[in-house]
Amino acid sequence: MKKLIFLIALVAFSACKNDTNKNGSSSESEENVVNVYTHRHYAADQLLFKQFEETTRIKVNVINASADELIQKMTIEGAQSPADVLITVDAGRLTRAKDQNLLQPIESDVLNRIIAPHLKDSENYWFGLTKRARIIAYSKERVDSTDLSTYEDLASDKWKGKILIRSSENIYNQSLLASLIVHNGEKEATKWTEAMVKNMARSPKGNDRDQVKAVVGGEGDIAVVNTYYIGNMLNSTNPEEVKAAEAVGIFFPNQEGRGAHINVSGAGVARYAPNKENAIKFIEFLISKEAQEVFANSNYEYPVNPIVKPAPLLQQWGEFKEDSLTLSKLGEFNKKAVLTFDEAGWK
Amino acid sequence: MKQAGSKNIFSFKYRLKRLKRDSNKWAIFTLLILFLIVLPIVSIGVKLFSGPGETWSHIVDNLLLDYLGNSLFLIFACGAIVLLFGVSTAWLVARYEFPLRKQMEWLLILPLAIPGYIVAYAYAGIFDYGGTLQLILEAVGLEFVRFDIMNKSGLAFVLGISLFPYVYVSSRAFFLNQANSLMEASEMLGVGPVKTFFKLMLPMARPAIVAGLILVLMEVLNDYGAAKYFGVNTFTTGIFRSWFSLEEPETAVYLSALLIVIVFTLILLEKFQRRKLRFNSNRDNNMRIYRKKVSPKNQLIIFLAVLLPVVLGFLLPVAQLIYWATLTYENVFNLSFLTISVQSFGIALLTAFVSVIIAVILIFFSKWSRLGFVKNIAKLGVLGYAIPGAVVAIGIMIPTIFIDRWLIDVMDYLFNVDLGLILTGTLVALIYAYVVRFLAVAYNPIESTALKVSNAIPDSSNMLGVGNLRTFFKIEFPLIRTGIASAFILVFIDVLKELPLTLILKPFHVNTLAVKAYEYASDEMVMEAAIPSLFIIVTVMLPVIFLNRLLIK
Repeated sequence: MKKLIFLIALVAFSACKNDTNKNGSSSESEENVVNVYTHRHYAADQLLFKQFEETTRIKVNVINASADELIQKMTIEGAQSPADVLITVDAGRLTRAKDQNLLQPIESDVLNRIIAPHLKDSENYWFGLTKRARIIAYSKERVDSTDLSTYEDLASDKWKGKILIRSSENIYNQSLLASLIVHNGEKEATKWTEAMVKNMARSPKGNDRDQVKAVVGGEGDIAVVNTYYIGNMLNSTNPEEVKAAEAVGIFFPNQEGRGAHINVSGAGVARYAPNKENAIKFIEFLISKEAQEVFANSNYEYPVNPIVKPAPLLQQWGEFKEDSLTLSKLGEFNKKAVLTFDEAGWK
Repeated sequence: MKQAGSKNIFSFKYRLKRLKRDSNKWAIFTLLILFLIVLPIVSIGVKLFSGPGETWSHIVDNLLLDYLGNSLFLIFACGAIVLLFGVSTAWLVARYEFPLRKQMEWLLILPLAIPGYIVAYAYAGIFDYGGTLQLILEAVGLEFVRFDIMNKSGLAFVLGISLFPYVYVSSRAFFLNQANSLMEASEMLGVGPVKTFFKLMLPMARPAIVAGLILVLMEVLNDYGAAKYFGVNTFTTGIFRSWFSLEEPETAVYLSALLIVIVFTLILLEKFQRRKLRFNSNRDNNMRIYRKKVSPKNQLIIFLAVLLPVVLGFLLPVAQLIYWATLTYENVFNLSFLTISVQSFGIALLTAFVSVIIAVILIFFSKWSRLGFVKNIAKLGVLGYAIPGAVVAIGIMIPTIFIDRWLIDVMDYLFNVDLGLILTGTLVALIYAYVVRFLAVAYNPIESTALKVSNAIPDSSNMLGVGNLRTFFKIEFPLIRTGIASAFILVFIDVLKELPLTLILKPFHVNTLAVKAYEYASDEMVMEAAIPSLFIIVTVMLPVIFLNRLLIK
């Protein structure tokens, strides 16, 4: 028994020792590194980090978690935070990070030149990296695409029991409602939310891909989803997912008016970034033509760099008019949106 | 004893005197460890005094009833499922001889190896449109009728089937240790096996069963991933919503406090009930196990009964994961998984080791201490298990950052050097957090076996002048080693699949398999998460099989 305990201790210590050695956090700041807190967990990102390491000799250290948790972590770490760059998958969380004094403004001609004003913070606290639109995926069998028009129209009686959409826990839904609050006012937005709940085909569950599958399964007729999920499904290694995605049509809402709701995943430099120069270089790299091409082609997001074309698949869907709402508004009205969802009983 | 306060035994002075007299080293050490364990929880709990946030009334008006209803439903439904599968399999495995029994013994632990949210994904994948079931049915020419598993009952099933091993492990440890004399006596008196089980063994095994059940319930209340995916709002959903979406940690703390009240009410209710039936140990701790041989037909029935939960909780989800892995391995698999496996393995092993030691210290030191209240509060050490991992992580960061800042100031003042954060963001903080979170998992199985060890033997050893520690190693340790082995396995498994806490506290260079699985699953790449999940399962299997062989013969 004693031997066993000794053995276990030995294995455990030796397994951990490697990490602790590499891990002297104080020595890291002297090395050439950039510490990235990110909510993006795509294979494309890892590829890009590696490319950045190779071209610049700056090592990329990554912490993956949800944006909310990363923001909490940075808040508690305060001035001692090792974070250099915060990456999130929506603009609302970046605005929140800015409001909580976790980011700093940066001067970069490259970023200012390339990124359109509504896709970045007006005071340069954060910058969009990729765009995604929240669109309607409809059953090609049962829905006539001329019946579709706007997000507002989804609340009308003709869609009763036909809409599939995920839970209000999801940030993309929160941002969509925030945009409706900004455009139509609180009162209208509340009415919309209540009507949407009545129109739902089922109580919200699953992720965006599940909504598409449920359209194909016949549980509802239209699903509200992000563009890149459809792109990923069409290119899935699972033939069933491809089949499902092929059975739905893509509709960009509000084309006659303000345009389809978009959101960005974006990045900002941390307020106490120990490696600020590297952080700026890192974000500039992610906006560069070569990096944007990787984003566009491997994860089916729309690039923010205008010289890079979207993936061929996205080009097939055609160009669309995007809502040019300043994205920081999404953060401002996020909490209001969450409260509205709860009051309407949108799970 | 009387002379100290014969006049006024309630006076403060007397109490102080008694406190001083009874404060032996065991008590002091116990209190010190308890302090460290409870510190992060208290750091968060302090927020209770600032009152709930302004959205508290919003939550009470719109959500609380739903949270409460769903959480209570899950408690009862999962409770029923884990009791049914956990106790029955433990009894059959411990008492009957049937084909493949040895393999079943460890297979029954393995459902725990798959993270709950992955089991949820796997089951959703099986019953999905275009899912495995549909493919199979269509291949044999049958019509597919969709069975929707993504609801409250489905969630209870998924959580129950993946958590029943907690009850299995703790009650099996009890059944194995049970002397045969009781069984024999019962049978000699002409009582049938069914009646013996329900009238004698079940009540006797109650502390052990409940120890496992409480772990399950805490885990159920704590689940976030599976509930979120199935669209069921529970307390934990509410905690995350108010903490992160509504930016009101105070409200989240109020919800956590309510959650803890629920858990402790359950524990107290059970204790109160049990007080009436106190069974002390059987004196002869005869480790020889006698297993019944029954007719081949009955052996087959027993085999199938034991196989069912293994199929539902392990083989079926694993088959689905393997199917997904075959679809995705080209894009996902690379050699870094091997090094990540080794890292995860080491961290889990170390944490399990530390947790078991601390649990033993809390249980035995508080027993040796003469201060009554120390015994009562030792149980506080299990609090961390009732709190969501993300909240524990924040709770850990508050004191460690505080110490770090203090060290930075001191070093700056004395030597003018910038020390940086030396605790936060290192393995020390991570393992500290795991121990706080999972101490209950080590504590409960050890306590339930320790309860059965009669005090007579260690007492006589003490009287013969042998110290507490030596007595422990020579006498008590061998008697409770099944409990220790169970505790070790359970903590090891829990650490390997732990997610929210790891995400927040892990150092830059440390990667765990659970984090890897999450990187895919969180972005709807459920199929891609299959390979890291399978790695978790394989990593868990090694020590489970090894320890099972070594310690539970």
